[in-house]
Amino acid sequence: MIPVSKTIEADVVIVGGGIGGPMAAIAAAEAGAKRVVVLEKCNVKRSGSGATGNDHFSCYIPEVHGDDVEPVLDAVMGSLIGQAKDREIMRLHLLESFDIVKKWEEWGINMRPLGRWNFQGHALPGKPRAFLKFDGRKQKSVLVEQMKKHGVTILNHHPVVELAKENGRVCGALAIDASTPTPSFVLVKAPNVVLSTGLTHRLYLNGSTPNYMFNTAHCPNNAGGQALGWRIGASMVNMEIPYTHAGTKYLQRAGKATWIGVYRYPDGKPLGPFVTKPDPEYGDVTSDIWNSAFIDVMQNGRGPAYLDCSQNTPETLAYMRKAMFDEGLSALIAYMDDKGIDPAKHAVEFTRFEPILHGRGLDVNKDGLTTVPGLYAAGDMVGNAGCGLGLAAWLGWRAGQAAARDIPEMTDCDLAENPAIKAKMELLSSFMERENGADWQEANIALTQIMSDYANVGPYKVRSESLLKAGLTYLAQLRRETAENLKATCSHTLMRAAEVLDLFDCAECIMRSALERKESRGNHKRSDYTFTNPLLADKMLDVTRNDDGTVTTSWRNQR
Amino acid sequence: MPPIIDRKKCVGCGTCADICNSNIFVFDRAVDKVPQVRFPEECWHCDSCVIDCPKGAITLRIPLAFTLLHVNADELKPQEAK
Repeated sequence: MIPVSKTIEADVVIVGGGIGGPMAAIAAAEAGAKRVVVLEKCNVKRSGSGATGNDHFSCYIPEVHGDDVEPVLDAVMGSLIGQAKDREIMRLHLLESFDIVKKWEEWGINMRPLGRWNFQGHALPGKPRAFLKFDGRKQKSVLVEQMKKHGVTILNHHPVVELAKENGRVCGALAIDASTPTPSFVLVKAPNVVLSTGLTHRLYLNGSTPNYMFNTAHCPNNAGGQALGWRIGASMVNMEIPYTHAGTKYLQRAGKATWIGVYRYPDGKPLGPFVTKPDPEYGDVTSDIWNSAFIDVMQNGRGPAYLDCSQNTPETLAYMRKAMFDEGLSALIAYMDDKGIDPAKHAVEFTRFEPILHGRGLDVNKDGLTTVPGLYAAGDMVGNAGCGLGLAAWLGWRAGQAAARDIPEMTDCDLAENPAIKAKMELLSSFMERENGADWQEANIALTQIMSDYANVGPYKVRSESLLKAGLTYLAQLRRETAENLKATCSHTLMRAAEVLDLFDCAECIMRSALERKESRGNHKRSDYTFTNPLLADKMLDVTRNDDGTVTTSWRNQR
Repeated sequence: MPPIIDRKKCVGCGTCADICNSNIFVFDRAVDKVPQVRFPEECWHCDSCVIDCPKGAITLRIPLAFTLLHVNADELKPQEAK
């Protein structure tokens, strides 16, 4: 059995040290929580999708947008980002986000690289723009500095693999100490847990490089964190509504909106109706509105689709290059420089990537509180709100504050004897004790095959009751095979093995949700329910795993 | 596959291994002063190790399969723009 090396007590424990996690930690400490612990899989200095930068922060600034937030909210809700989200949370996010922006600026993040509040990209011509262009290169180091100033305990290389619940409330977490090749377990007892593990990749065959799982537009190590909430009974929402990102091909470095150009067919005709020449103010919003554009043009033979930046002025190209650094795309720039790929001269092909859980996951209230008391979620793993980094920062802040207001006396919960924790420790230990067996990649690849065959996404692949039920059967078989055969050799491969177990749960939740949505909506294409049901237009589907392992589905009104 | 550490420049500080977004390095000074890239296929090309290396000893090599597909933009210009 892998030994337990540490047992810690905390008031608030935070899972994930990306953007939402540090914000929750700082807010909780500032609001009076004495013992705030961040458990980070890698290192908070460079973890998560915002590791090396970001250049757009969703927010509303009255002096820029005017006194009425509604047009800005309409613009966000009308885009891919606002798809199937709760309007009231999104409104509150916009209303309060300027306070977060000012805080970031005060802490030393460059929120006005041009010396003014500059909103650009991801927008329809003539419509309000909700994304503040900023320079996020220092965002991680600044957040780490603030956590340290606020006395937050940071445990790097501590992936969380299970949560515990007692008397209906979350009571702690199980982490692996992966700081050395030999793993040990760490138990953290806490009445509040804030999940902020980001979006989830590696569920489907990779959209641009099917043989490589880690070529992803966002952090590929965010894998299955939603499952931590799912397993202790938090309701999940929007899991069946597919989200696919788009970007350069084959290298999946994102920053789609950082590119200033026009999407064109090979004959030069623009793909979309929005711009015919590059427009730094709005970008080319075509792929935000026409999500399947890049795959459609391959299917109908009119492609491929290119992003052409060559008509920009040298000044705009220099500005775009600088914004790419702000966005954290220095590796892409170095590669392009090395290969002589120059946006002034070359057009780069774009493609649609594989489905990911981005803005799909835990159903939360305006404080990030899930349906399980004491359990909060913030950022891209939240299902009923989404706006990338801006939402993570804002909701993390609110979750941290709310958690600090509710710190009950801990009961005498013995985490090591908690059934879920105990079972996970035994299973992971069995992986380390096995002499021969399958490595985690085998199980992860097997999962991507099942999801891509039985729960795939539109417009060219369909779901149906028979396909989804077969998928659930094959997933159950894969779970059994994995439990009996998986082998881990060190703390790193053990961490990956635990991720695969989380991915299995996300996959099950997706398939169960997709079964219940008996209509087609967005890229959730049901061959047995081909219509879009207007009665479900304002409804959200909650899917919840009960303590006895059964799954309940229920519909609620959008809020 | 990435990253590539220049052994002559590396001083064995271990920063890359500590901050890697994907935990792809293994570093044991007793074995080698230069961190080992143990899990290269898990590199996300985030550039953190390149940026944070105090000696500029690291470069990324983007795999062939990740090639950035591109064409001469002149070929795409609409007729009226040519």
